[in-house]
Amino acid sequence: MRAETLKGHVDFLLLAIVADEPAHGYRIIEALKRRSAGAFDLPEGTVYPALHRLEQGGLLASSWVSGSGRRRRVYRLTARGRRALAGARREWRGFTKAVEAVVA
Amino acid sequence: MIDRYLRELEAELGAVGIRGSRRRRILMETADHLRESGDAARFGEPKLIAARFADELATNGARRIAFASFLVLAPAGIAYAALFGLIRTWPDITSARVLPVAIGTALTIVLAPQVAFAAGVLTVARAWRLRSQMTAPAAEIVVLRRRAAVALASGAAAFAAIAVYAYEYSSGLPGWWTTTAFVVSGAALVPIGGAAVALARNARVRPQAAGAAGDVFDDVAPLIDAIPLRLRGRHWRFCLLVAAAVAAAAFVAGGPDEGPRNAVGEFVAVCAAFAALGRFLGLRS
Repeated sequence: MRAETLKGHVDFLLLAIVADEPAHGYRIIEALKRRSAGAFDLPEGTVYPALHRLEQGGLLASSWVSGSGRRRRVYRLTARGRRALAGARREWRGFTKAVEAVVA
Repeated sequence: MIDRYLRELEAELGAVGIRGSRRRRILMETADHLRESGDAARFGEPKLIAARFADELATNGARRIAFASFLVLAPAGIAYAALFGLIRTWPDITSARVLPVAIGTALTIVLAPQVAFAAGVLTVARAWRLRSQMTAPAAEIVVLRRRAAVALASGAAAFAAIAVYAYEYSSGLPGWWTTTAFVVSGAALVPIGGAAVALARNARVRPQAAGAAGDVFDDVAPLIDAIPLRLRGRHWRFCLLVAAAVAAAAFVAGGPDEGPRNAVGEFVAVCAAFAALGRFLGLRS
């Protein structure tokens, strides 16, 4: 799937992945690929600016976590992020339902 | 391979104004990612990644600071109005300690809040228009930052002038008023200063996205389109309309004695401000 198609949905997807469990950047990207069966195969580096922006906006929080001899920045959803995700889910379900009703 | 990529990314981040702890963090996260994936090519060109960081952080940061600036200035404006509403009799203009300073201060007290209000409203209008955009053209962000800077600088000038005014005319003003003026000025200048520091930090990041700067007609499109005067693209017509509205308000507020003089003064001031700051603030192209 082209990156352009994903534009506008990246925040929603990233929040949904981090909602399941706190994760570092590489794991988030892998989860995005795995859960979309390879459809969402973004240039990996472009996910990090989005993660930083979401943190700047208070939807994610992050901290350094040490383990296995390395330090990793782990992202987790904030209460505000959880509310934003719930809203985005409602909007998405309504949208897909409407599109499905038209094109089916 | 990884080290070379990180050196290139470090240089590119520096080129777009991302330095210090933010850059260190990005490089550490990138290093961790590349050690895990072992594929720098899949990560993306360093120049592209740096530009993406700059675009996203500058857009989001400038927008947040724009809203914060308005939130800082709005209560300050109410405090300003309340402060001057408390004065029953104005001191004789010649009773100042240093007359030229007092006259300059009085002019600043009258004009700076109006500039702060206009720039603040324009700042919020643009920030609101860009509210759902992940990245905006660099030229749009520059205008947004300029508007916030002018709003904050004018707000700071107004409150600094109030403190100077209270000092200059302390012999002709009630003691409690001068004390209140000093306290209110200090209390207003602290958050204004905080917002200015945040804005200066954000302004270090140089977004790269191409696109037009936009103007006031883009920012308040629904309002402009609702006025049946074919204003879109006619900047000076828009200016004259705003100046006439402000002059009418000044006329009504000033009453029969001072109204006509105030109305002419406001009309000229709005037109002069539009000529001086219009291009800088993205009011006209």
